[in-house]
Amino acid sequence: MAVRTRRRLAAAALAAAVSIGLTACTSTSGGSGGTQQPLKKEDLVLVASVINTTNPYMASMIEGSKALSEKLGIPLKIVDSQGSSQTEISQIQSILAQGKKVVLMVNTVASSDAPPIVNAVKAAGGYVVIWWNKPDNLEPWNVGNNFVAFQKYSGVESGQCNGKSIGDALGPAGGGVIMLPGVQDSTTSQTRVAGFKDALKAYPSVKVLEERPANWDQQKGFQETQTMLAKYGDQVKAIWAADDAMMLGAIEAVKQANRPDIKFASDGIYPPTIDYIKQGVPIVGETFHRGYMAASIGLFTAYQAATGALDVSKMPQEQRDSLFKLACVSPQNYQDYTKYDSNIPGWVDTLIANGPFKTEPTPLVGQGPEKLPS
Amino acid sequence: MSPIKAGSSAGTTPAEAAPAATPSLAKRLRFDVKSAGELGAFVVLIVVFAILNPSTFLTAKNIQTILNQSAIPLIIAVGATLVILMGSIDLSVEGVMGAAGMTFVLMSANSRGGTGYGVVVALIVAVAVGMVLGLVSGLIHTRLRVPSFIVTLGVWYVGLGIATLLFGTEQIPFLTSDSLKAWPTSLTLGLPNSFWLAVLLVLAGAAVGRYTRLARWTYAIGNNEQIALGNGIPVARVKVINFVGAAGCSAFAGVLASIQIGAGSATVGVGSLFLTIAAVVIGGTALSGGKGGILRSALGVLLLTTLNNGLILSGVSPNIQSGVSGVVLIAAIIAAAWPYRGRLRVSK
Repeated sequence: MAVRTRRRLAAAALAAAVSIGLTACTSTSGGSGGTQQPLKKEDLVLVASVINTTNPYMASMIEGSKALSEKLGIPLKIVDSQGSSQTEISQIQSILAQGKKVVLMVNTVASSDAPPIVNAVKAAGGYVVIWWNKPDNLEPWNVGNNFVAFQKYSGVESGQCNGKSIGDALGPAGGGVIMLPGVQDSTTSQTRVAGFKDALKAYPSVKVLEERPANWDQQKGFQETQTMLAKYGDQVKAIWAADDAMMLGAIEAVKQANRPDIKFASDGIYPPTIDYIKQGVPIVGETFHRGYMAASIGLFTAYQAATGALDVSKMPQEQRDSLFKLACVSPQNYQDYTKYDSNIPGWVDTLIANGPFKTEPTPLVGQGPEKLPS
Repeated sequence: MSPIKAGSSAGTTPAEAAPAATPSLAKRLRFDVKSAGELGAFVVLIVVFAILNPSTFLTAKNIQTILNQSAIPLIIAVGATLVILMGSIDLSVEGVMGAAGMTFVLMSANSRGGTGYGVVVALIVAVAVGMVLGLVSGLIHTRLRVPSFIVTLGVWYVGLGIATLLFGTEQIPFLTSDSLKAWPTSLTLGLPNSFWLAVLLVLAGAAVGRYTRLARWTYAIGNNEQIALGNGIPVARVKVINFVGAAGCSAFAGVLASIQIGAGSATVGVGSLFLTIAAVVIGGTALSGGKGGILRSALGVLLLTTLNNGLILSGVSPNIQSGVSGVVLIAAIIAAAWPYRGRLRVSK
């Protein structure tokens, strides 16, 4: 018995020593950061991590990643987080363990996912750009060159754009507005809500009747709108949603309640929104930004860092915690922007030619983190 | 929470548990008396909300909204009750709804192109897709002896997977027929069509539950599967039929939900599972099986939908609302289980 125990102990000690040794190895090889050699194209794999694969925005991100992968001639892997931080992190870790150098774009499920992902990528010597969510105090320049950048569109600006459109459309008479935010603890939703309310300050006759979070979900947008119309009836003059999916649900509910006077504004100008505009549904304001643009800008930034085309240590801070341009569009001018949708590979060509920070219609415009209006 | 009175859902009489082919008036009356608790709670809820929101709650428009919103959970509850009566559970509701809803939309005239195959064909195929998923659940559960909890959990994700595949990476498929989209909320005799449809299914389900041998066997299996088996009841077959039926109901609900939002979505069923199981239990159907009924579940659905609507009208913050729903469920289950909390009772 005693011998056996001792053997077991020895084996355990050996295993521990080996694993410590291994960790030490990986951390020395990967942690060198600034002195890391540029990577060869054939050693790279592009990875795009999305929150799910059913949301149209996520589908668009996948489309953009595929287009870039084809143009660059580098294989692409898609990580489907299925709405779960755990799934997201473990899938990314297993891809990192497969050996190829990873060029990663992550649309994080929650802000708190960013630190573990960034650290894992750093340890494996890959390059990562994070989209949409990260904690404000996690800055790429504090982590090192492997965390190339954080990128997003301004939520405040999106909300302000919508608020102004609705305020103008309701005119001096004003009226009541129903707000449909997304999931309540989402920063994207919170910033858009703050921007919307901020813009409404200039329109004292416009009153927010109620805020009903509709969880980015079309069905929920439909149901909440139904209930709100029953509660406020004719007081409702306009409905705002934090993204188009929820607005599409609201439009359906309003149609069925036979209230063609109710005006809408939201974020994203999805293809079905365009159809509704053409049918004459009073969608008075929209913002244009695209998943395919976001994903390919993110992947291309990480790719240029990996190949040495971008020297990460010399990038200005606004290129590493970045806000990209969001277009505030109206029913009159939206076609100037939606024209890009019909030729995504063509747009990716201009991205590759101009670099990630100067490609129209969405060049870099400012530095994060985003500040909420007071 | 106060409206849910303790002991209100104190189970059912043996008469209801194994209804005779021709129930006498007395038995029917006894059923009504036993349901008085839930009915009472429902009435209290309505009175309270009507006082809190005098100008909005009891308007025709709001009642239509409540009835329209209860249609989908009502339809699911019919099938869910049959499964729970056997002491099993069907967690695949949301996955089946997604798969059936996507099937229906893609087979109807939609914005991805094509004129579709007509509403009837699309509906039949969509419900068939759901029933196949139910058949898979039932067969694995009965033939391979895997607990229904875990089989249907798996089938939930299989259904969601099918829906996701059908959704693909193209743009959202929208139904192009405006008359189809308007049908559920259009009024017939002052009430929304979706509600009439649900009533029809609930009554059909209740009739099955009261007058058929299948239902008596279902109650018997829920009461004691060993004894049922010993008495020559084809337990496996009854179980499979109920799982197929339940999935059929979920599929139908998925189609209705897709018509209402006018678009295909893999996640069209999100939230339905919690609402339905809560409603079935609040209605007084025991999770251990053998006691309860479809009409009780229908009352449970109306209770929960009214509660949600009333809370919104009363201006309760959405932050609190989800918590309140959970507390109501737990309170109701405690009330339902109160008479059975004997010292020797095993609770798993």
